[in-house]
Amino acid sequence: MSENEARDTHLQELRRGTVVLACLRLLTEPGYGYGLLEELGRRGFATDANTLYPLLRRLEKQGYLTSEWNTDESRPRKFYRTSRAGDTLAAALTEDFRAIARAIADLPEED
Amino acid sequence: MDAETLTTRYVDAAMRTVPEKQRGDLAEELTASIADQIEARTDAGEPADAAERAVLTELGDPERLAAGYTGRQLHLIGPRYYLDWWRLLKLLLWIVIPCAGAAVALGKVLSGAPVGDVISTVWVTMLTAALHVAFWTTLVFVILERTGHETMDAAPWTPDKLPEPKETGARFSDLITSLVWLLILAGAIVWDQVFGLVYLDDRWMPALAPALWPWVLGVFLLVIAVEAVVGFAVYARGRWTYALAAVHGILDLVTAVLAVTLIAQSRLINPVVMSAITDAVGADGADAPRIIAILVAAGIVIVAAWDAIDAFRKARRSRTLA
Repeated sequence: MSENEARDTHLQELRRGTVVLACLRLLTEPGYGYGLLEELGRRGFATDANTLYPLLRRLEKQGYLTSEWNTDESRPRKFYRTSRAGDTLAAALTEDFRAIARAIADLPEED
Repeated sequence: MDAETLTTRYVDAAMRTVPEKQRGDLAEELTASIADQIEARTDAGEPADAAERAVLTELGDPERLAAGYTGRQLHLIGPRYYLDWWRLLKLLLWIVIPCAGAAVALGKVLSGAPVGDVISTVWVTMLTAALHVAFWTTLVFVILERTGHETMDAAPWTPDKLPEPKETGARFSDLITSLVWLLILAGAIVWDQVFGLVYLDDRWMPALAPALWPWVLGVFLLVIAVEAVVGFAVYARGRWTYALAAVHGILDLVTAVLAVTLIAQSRLINPVVMSAITDAVGADGADAPRIIAILVAAGIVIVAAWDAIDAFRKARRSRTLA
């Protein structure tokens, strides 16, 4: 494994959980797969389609998202929305993320 | 139209491993998502088929994507079961291969098969046994992994499960044990020749052929004496060294070769005793002397080989500790 590859793996691991948090917070407004993918990218949570689509399914199965087919437009799309349990989870994740951010800020700086 | 078939083929390939129940819903959602992504690219001025190709390439292997949807495992045995699988497999291989090989070898030799036949049959048997053990053990674990069962040992690991420290074989008690056994053995050989160990026809007579006395049995006694010296040396050094293990191995080899040669030439057992055994078994037991000889020879070879290997293992272990 090259140095860059190892570095990328670490960055990826650090970011992994944040995509879940971002999805749960963004989907308080109903959204569909590709639209959410774009939104995440715009907001600095760059994700691959083949990571996001299965993730949405998983969160739905775990009860953190609900889904509904929208057939109003020419192309029917499955819209996801954060459930009550999802809101609770999002709050817990956000709280934890802030705690981690504070803890990191308190770490000794290298100068 | 041709551009559509690529997406359709991709979705079909992805749905192949998805349970029937979720298939319709998932296929529709995936198709819509792919169409959205292609549209975004064509809106930016990309030609339609190039856009489709790029989107599908980015999504990657459809079966991998489907595995993400369904939570299907993409490994045979994962980290949760790997160690249990590996330990059990090693244990079973250590038990089954030698047992199968030894049993077949004994059976073949008893039935009077030529040496080449014995070796090839044993080789094939051990190979087959290893394959069977590896395959079935792995299969059981693959099923366990997929049905989500706990393995044999569900309790969490504690320090109590650490392996026991291995014996060095160089303690004082080891020396005493080995000396006592050597003395008993030497005493038995001498006693056998002087007073006899078998009671036959109202008198005691030697079990080992009297013709072996004194020269051949003298070699055995010499081996026993050198073995005792090795025992003292191991105790004095505090561990088995490779040199000591080598001397020990040569002694084992001399003993085994000498004993098996004598057995093969029917010169080890006192002929009077042997004929008495044959008479006692009767006409049905015409093969009895041969079978007894092979069993005894096999026993000697196995014990000698194990004894020699054990010394080398102790030498290697103490070397890594030192």
